Amino acid sequence: MDQQTILTIEDNEYNRKIVRKLLGSSYRLVEAVDGEAGVALAVAELPDLILMDVQLPKMSGLEATRILRADARTKHIPIVIITSFALSGDRERAADSGAAAYLAKPYSPGELLALVRKFLPE
Amino acid sequence: MLARTPLGALVRAVAGIRASVHTKLMAAFMIVTILFVAMGAFSVRTVLLTGEQSRQLDLAHQRVAWSQQIEQALARQMHFSVLALLSQDEAAIAKILRENNRFNEALAKLDAAGLPEQHQLVEQVRSSQDAAMAVVADMANAIRDRTLGQVTRDLLVQQERIDGEITARVANLVETEQRRMTRLRDSIATANRNSLVTTAAFAVAAVVLAWLCGFVISWSFVTPVREAQGFLARVAAGDFTGRIDVRNGDEFGALAEQMNFMSRELQRLDTIQRDAAAELVSLNTRLEQASNAKSEFLANMSHELRTPLNAILGFTEMVVDGLYGEVPAELKEPLQDIHVNGKHLLRLINDVLDLAKIEAGRMELALRDYSVPDLVGSVHGSLRSLAAEKGLAFETEVQDDLPAARGDDGRLTQCLMNLAGNAIKFTREGGVRIGVTLDEGELIFRVSDTGIGIGPNELQHIFAEFRQVDATVTREYGGTGLGLSISKKFIEMHGGRIWAESKAGEGSTFFFRVPLRVGEPSPWTSKPSSP
Repeated sequence: MDQQTILTIEDNEYNRKIVRKLLGSSYRLVEAVDGEAGVALAVAELPDLILMDVQLPKMSGLEATRILRADARTKHIPIVIITSFALSGDRERAADSGAAAYLAKPYSPGELLALVRKFLPE
Repeated sequence: MLARTPLGALVRAVAGIRASVHTKLMAAFMIVTILFVAMGAFSVRTVLLTGEQSRQLDLAHQRVAWSQQIEQALARQMHFSVLALLSQDEAAIAKILRENNRFNEALAKLDAAGLPEQHQLVEQVRSSQDAAMAVVADMANAIRDRTLGQVTRDLLVQQERIDGEITARVANLVETEQRRMTRLRDSIATANRNSLVTTAAFAVAAVVLAWLCGFVISWSFVTPVREAQGFLARVAAGDFTGRIDVRNGDEFGALAEQMNFMSRELQRLDTIQRDAAAELVSLNTRLEQASNAKSEFLANMSHELRTPLNAILGFTEMVVDGLYGEVPAELKEPLQDIHVNGKHLLRLINDVLDLAKIEAGRMELALRDYSVPDLVGSVHGSLRSLAAEKGLAFETEVQDDLPAARGDDGRLTQCLMNLAGNAIKFTREGGVRIGVTLDEGELIFRVSDTGIGIGPNELQHIFAEFRQVDATVTREYGGTGLGLSISKKFIEMHGGRIWAESKAGEGSTFFFRVPLRVGEPSPWTSKPSSP
């Protein structure tokens, strides 16, 4: 059976590395380092799950989420928002953006793995 | 309207007089009073004059009456003379003499009451009467001597002549009196008419003057009072720029000057106060900006700190979990130490960030329904292994049938975790117990331990920031020293309170109570809550 695809939109290299180590053996991974590239890649790849960081260059994760929600080609793809809740209102904005779930930073690799398996059972 | 009339000019002139209000009022009353006194004096004079003229008239009447008596006596005298001559009787002579007495009596009165110019006329009448009486004496002699027959005619002629003379003179007297009386009557009538006109004129003048005085004086007072009214209304409304224009020379003028002084002072103070307020506002704005910048910086910094920390913890966990292959036994402990210290650093960063957000007023509660047993269960689950490692009993006791609660369960979990974590940390033997009860619409969370306890001096400070019982405690037990003060702020944001009961060496009990349903009207809110 074909491997399911996960799109990681994350500007921090080490966080991408963790995701690669954690999920790379079980899923096909594609990566983007800013919001605009992430949206473009999502439309091109039509992945099965998107892991979206909030604080991104060029376009914030929340804005990218809204765009993907509004696009008929991508609106069915579940999006997990990853946020540090550093600023007041982040929690509300994350809930309002239309994400399927959100994960609080700092998360442990175990938490991320459990959340991904909930959406994409092996 | 009044201002442009001559009356208005008069009002201004009176207002400008340099005299007190009392003096002005007294002067106005005096003017009116003097006019009334003058009118009274004139009336008295008129009454006296009229009385004198009436008396003169009475006297004239009297004189006319006496003159008539004289005429009557003369007529009778003539009648008796004729009778004496005809009857040749001496008794008739006696009657003539009696009439003569009457005549003389009336003439004496007339002379006494008469005017000086009449005296001569009276004397003439008297001499005529004397002549008439001489004729009567002749008659009497002739009757006595029986020689009447020869002289009757002469005597009669003489008597008639004298009689005519007297009558003419008395008539002259009466006529002069009557002329005089007519003059007097005319004079009285004229005086009465004049008196009436003058009195009426006085009365009208007095009324007009009284009205004028009242009008002018009252307006000279009312005008400044109205000005002051408008002026004070503006001052009361906060407009201190106005000035009152009152040129009264009396107390009103002085009052207006003081009002202007007051207004200038108010304006000056107002300006000072406004400047100070503006300065405060700008200072406050700058402070707010600085504070926001600080909070913003802290938030960003925390995020920046957490990103690499996240990677450190993530990689460590993955190494420990064997994702990179089998870990040599001698590396397991140092890897665990890296992980524990990384977690501690993360907790510190989180606490500092929470405190910064709370102090910047940017911490918001995320209210939702939650289950109390689940909340207590998750805290128990997280700390169970820690308690077990120390060999402590760790129990929970939640009241049965608690309804669904509402609040920020994440923050409440953080508070309970903090209290229970502290309890386990500071207890060497015995146990820790978490209890929850519902009391008057409020949940009471209770965490009791059999630990080292807290003395009364420390107990009052434990909720302040960066406080632990003493510095050695931090080294021995770990912790940021921020947990209790953050918990206190979260509880207060929920509308609740947190407190502790303890004795050094005998264990401690920490309590906090929060409304069962935060943000919803409670049937208990009207009742004072007891701890």
